Amino acid sequence: MLEFLGPLLGRMHPLLVHLPIGILVFGIVLCFFPQREKNSFLPAIRLAFLLGGIAAFGAGISGFLQYQFEGFAWEDIQIHLFGGVFTALGSFGLFFHFRKKETIQSKSKVFALGLGLILAVTGHLGGSLTHGENYFTEVLPKEFQSFLGIEIEPEKGPQLAEESWEEAVFYSEVIQPILNQNCKSCHNPKNKKGELDLTTIKGLMTGGEDGVILTAGDAQHSELFARLILPKGDKKHMPPSEKRQPSKAEIALIESWIKAGGKADQTLAEAGISRNLVEPFIQKTEIPFYPIIQLPVFPTDSLAQLKRLGFFAELIESGSGLLKVTCINLPEFQDSDWEKLAPVKNRIAYLDLSGTKVSDAILDSLKGFSTLTVLKLNETVISGNSLEKLSQLPNLKLLYLNKTGVNLAQIQQLASNQSLEKVFIFDTPASAEFLNSGKLSLPFLLETGNYQLPKLPTDTIVY
Amino acid sequence: MKHLEKLLAELAVQKLQNQTRRHFLMDCVSKVGVLAMAPLLFGCEPEHLIKKSTGLNLSERDLNPLAPLPPPFVGKAKSIIYLHMAGAPSQLELFDYKPELARYHDKDCPESLLEGRKFAFIRGVPKMLGPQAQFAQHGQSGAWVSDYLPHFAKVTDEVAFLKAVHTDQFNHGPAQLFMQTGSPRLGRPSLGSWVTYGLGTENQNLPGFVVLTSGGKTPDAGKSVWGSGFLPSVYQGVQCRSKGDPVLYLEDPTGMSRDLKKNVISAINQVNQEDFETFGDPEILARINQYEMAYRMQIEVPEVMNINDEPEHIHELYGTKPGEESFANNCLLARKLVEKGVRVVQLYDWGWDTHGTDHDGSIDKGLRNKCREIDRPMSALLLDLKQRGLLEETLVVWGGEFGRTPMQENREGKVQSFMGRDHHVDAFTMWMAGGGVKKGASYGITDDFGFSGVDERVSVHDLHATILQLMGFNHEKFTYDFQGRPFRLTDVHGELIHAVLA
Repeated sequence: MLEFLGPLLGRMHPLLVHLPIGILVFGIVLCFFPQREKNSFLPAIRLAFLLGGIAAFGAGISGFLQYQFEGFAWEDIQIHLFGGVFTALGSFGLFFHFRKKETIQSKSKVFALGLGLILAVTGHLGGSLTHGENYFTEVLPKEFQSFLGIEIEPEKGPQLAEESWEEAVFYSEVIQPILNQNCKSCHNPKNKKGELDLTTIKGLMTGGEDGVILTAGDAQHSELFARLILPKGDKKHMPPSEKRQPSKAEIALIESWIKAGGKADQTLAEAGISRNLVEPFIQKTEIPFYPIIQLPVFPTDSLAQLKRLGFFAELIESGSGLLKVTCINLPEFQDSDWEKLAPVKNRIAYLDLSGTKVSDAILDSLKGFSTLTVLKLNETVISGNSLEKLSQLPNLKLLYLNKTGVNLAQIQQLASNQSLEKVFIFDTPASAEFLNSGKLSLPFLLETGNYQLPKLPTDTIVY
Repeated sequence: MKHLEKLLAELAVQKLQNQTRRHFLMDCVSKVGVLAMAPLLFGCEPEHLIKKSTGLNLSERDLNPLAPLPPPFVGKAKSIIYLHMAGAPSQLELFDYKPELARYHDKDCPESLLEGRKFAFIRGVPKMLGPQAQFAQHGQSGAWVSDYLPHFAKVTDEVAFLKAVHTDQFNHGPAQLFMQTGSPRLGRPSLGSWVTYGLGTENQNLPGFVVLTSGGKTPDAGKSVWGSGFLPSVYQGVQCRSKGDPVLYLEDPTGMSRDLKKNVISAINQVNQEDFETFGDPEILARINQYEMAYRMQIEVPEVMNINDEPEHIHELYGTKPGEESFANNCLLARKLVEKGVRVVQLYDWGWDTHGTDHDGSIDKGLRNKCREIDRPMSALLLDLKQRGLLEETLVVWGGEFGRTPMQENREGKVQSFMGRDHHVDAFTMWMAGGGVKKGASYGITDDFGFSGVDERVSVHDLHATILQLMGFNHEKFTYDFQGRPFRLTDVHGELIHAVLA
C-alpha cells in the first residue's frame, strides 16, 4: 500500500539535496564573515552545521532510496554516495567542534573549507549523474572542447552486412543512422531546432513547427526530403550549408524510404531496394591483400638501416609491421646479400629483386620469408631449377618471373602452393612452351603475355 | 688586397642577409627557452618549418623531400599513368552510343536543351548532329566502342568506363586546371603533385612525377596543370622532352668529363655543408640532396628515356618510331618510367578540339585521324602493362577536360562547312584501368542525346576522390596546411565511385 513512498522519496533526492547545500554553505560563509562583536555568529554557526547535518542525513536516505529504485549502477554512484556520507558526518563533526569552542580559530576555518570542498565534489558528481557528464562542456565552443581533450564521437552512418543487408530494417538500420549523422545535432530532444526531433520515429512523424514533414509515398511533398534537394543557397535548404551535407546515396535512400511508405518496420527487401542503392553502406568483408599478422610497428631506425644499405624500404601502410623492399637503386644485389635482409625476413611482404644479379641460389634463401606476398624476380639469370622452393612460401600471391629462364615444368611444380594467385612469365621459355602446349590446369593464373595488336587496314588510312 | 677586402665585405653582407626574420625570431625563441610556445607564436607558419628551424625532429623528408612515405592504408595502385586528351575528345563518336541522336540529325535542337544554358561558341538554335561513327559492343562486358578505336575495342574488358562525368568549366584552360588540380583557378597543386607529396618516389635517381606531351602543343592551361601550387615546388611535374634530350642540360658539356662534374658538385655541396653548419637550416641539406640527385639523374634519365633498345615486337605493338615526338612514344616511355618506379606519369596529347572549323577539326575526318594516333598506343600500353604484371599496381586514367555537344557547332551563328561539336560540360566519358579498378565495369547513363547524365553521374571531385582512394589515401583526410587552413585535392566535395572499385 505504501510501497510508493520509497520511490517517491527517492525521486525527491534532487530536491532535498539543496537543503544541506544551502544551509552548509551558509554556515561556512558565516565562519569567514566579518563580525562586529567577536564570535557573535558562533551560535548561528553551530545551528547551521547541526541543521545542515540533519538535512544531509535526510538527503542521503533519499539518495540511497533513489539508487535502490531507479536502477543506477553502483560503479557510477559510489563516490557520490561516499561523498554524501562524509558531508553528513563532517557537518555533525563541525557542530560538535564549534560547540566546545568559544572563538573561531583558523583551524576551524580550515575544517569548514574542507567540508565545503567535499560538498562541492559530491554535488558536482550528483549533477553529472542526472544531467550527464558533458552537461557543462557540451555548450563550450568545439575548439575549446578538443583543447580539453573531449573527443566527440562521430555518428556512424548506416552499416549493413554483406550477406544479410536485405533483411535490415529500412528505418532503424538505414534511415535513423543517416538522420543521426546529418540532422541529430540540431534536432534532438535537448536541442529541438524548429520544434523538430529527428532522433525517433515518433518525433519524425510528429513533425516540427511547420507541421508534418513526411507524406508517405510522396517524397517531393515531404519536407524531410524536399529540403535536402533545395539549392544550397536556399535559406530553407537542410542541413544548413556550413554543416556536413548528406551524400547523394543518403539522399536517395531517404527518398526511397518515403516513396516506399515511410514505415517503421519494413525491411530493405520489402521496400524493394536494390543493392546499388545501399552499396556504399555495405560493410565489405574484404580479405586484405597482405597477411594479417599482429606485428609491432616496424622500428624507424631499422628502416633507416635498410635504406642506408641501398634498399628501397617502406611500410606497406602507416603503422604496419610489414615491409615493402625493392632493389630499384641496388642493381648490384647478389645471392650472398640476402643476409642483409635476413633480420627482417618475417617482415617483408613485397620484395622486388628485378634486374639484380641474383641467381637460382636466392630461391633457397627466400623460402623462410613467411610473410612474402609479392615476389618479383624479373630480368634475372634465374633458370628456375629450384623454383619448387617457393611453393613453401605460405603467403605468396603474385610471382613475377618475366624475362627469366624458367620453363613450364618448373612452373608446374608451384602447383602445390595454396596461396599463389598469379604467375607472370612473359618473355620466358615457359611462356613459349605454354602457348604450344595448349590447355594446362594450374591452380593459379598464368600470365604469358606476348600480346599483339594485329595490323588493320584502317591503321594506314588517312582521312 | 683591395679585392679581398671587397670580397670579405660582401661575405659579411651576405651572412647578415641570411640572418632572416625567421632565424632571428627562432633564435629569440630558442634562447628564451620557450620552445614549447613556438607553434603558438608562429601560428601562421607551417609546423614543419618550426621543427626544421629549431633542429627538432628532423625527418628524412626534411632532407629529401621525395623520400618515400607509407600510404595511410594499403593502396591498390602504386603508380598512375594519366592520359589527358587536351582539347576534349567527342564522347559521342567514341564511347557514348546514341542511336536516337542519329534520327534527329540535322533537325533543330529542341528549345528545352538550350534554355538557360551557355555554350562556348554555339549561338541561337543549332542543328542536332548525329553520331558519325559506327558502334558495336565488344568483349565480355559488352562495352560500346566505335570503329574510330578498333584496337582499343579489343581491350575493353580491362577497363571501367565512367559515362556521365560532368564538369562546370566550358573553356579549355579552366577545365584542364579543374580536371588536374580540382580547381578552375590557378594556385592549387595538381593530382600528380598531391600523390608525389603523399607517397614520395621509389627510384631515387628519377623524378617522382614526369610529364610528357605530344600533339605539337602543351595544354591550354599551361604548365600549371602539373604545377605544385602551394605544395613545395619539388613536387611539381618534371616535363621531359619527347624528342632530343629528355631533360635539357643533363648531358655533360663537350670537353667536361663526368669526374670533373662530380668534383664541381662536391665542391658546391661542401660550401653548402659549411653553410648548413653555420645556420642549421635544413633547406640547405635538401639543396645538397637535390644536387646529388641531379648527378644521379644524368645516368638514369637518358637510359630510361631511350626507347631505341626496346625489342621490335614492342615497337610493333605500340606503333612507335624512335626519334619523333608522338603519343605512341610517350605511351611506351610511360610504361618504362612506371617500371622504373616513377610515381606519376602524365601524358598530354593536344589536338582534340574538334569544332569543325577546318578539316583537322572535323569529327568525321580529323577526329578519325587523331584517334588513329592514340588507338594502338593506348591499347598497347594496357596490354604491355598487363603482360608485365604492372597493371596490377598501376592505375591508368584516360579522358579530356570536358565533352562535346550533341549539336553541330554554329560559330557566330553561321553554318559551318565541316562537322563539329562545341564544348560540353554536362556529360562525357572517361575510363580507368588497372590497380583496384573493376574490370569491364560501366558507370553512368546519359539521356538519348548524350546531352546530360540521367543517372550515376560523376563529378571531377568524385573522380579525384576515387583516384586517391586507389592510391591509399582517404581524400577527406589527405590535407596540407596553407594560409591557416587545411587544403584537400577535393576541397569539400567528392564521393567515392564504388561501382568502379574492384
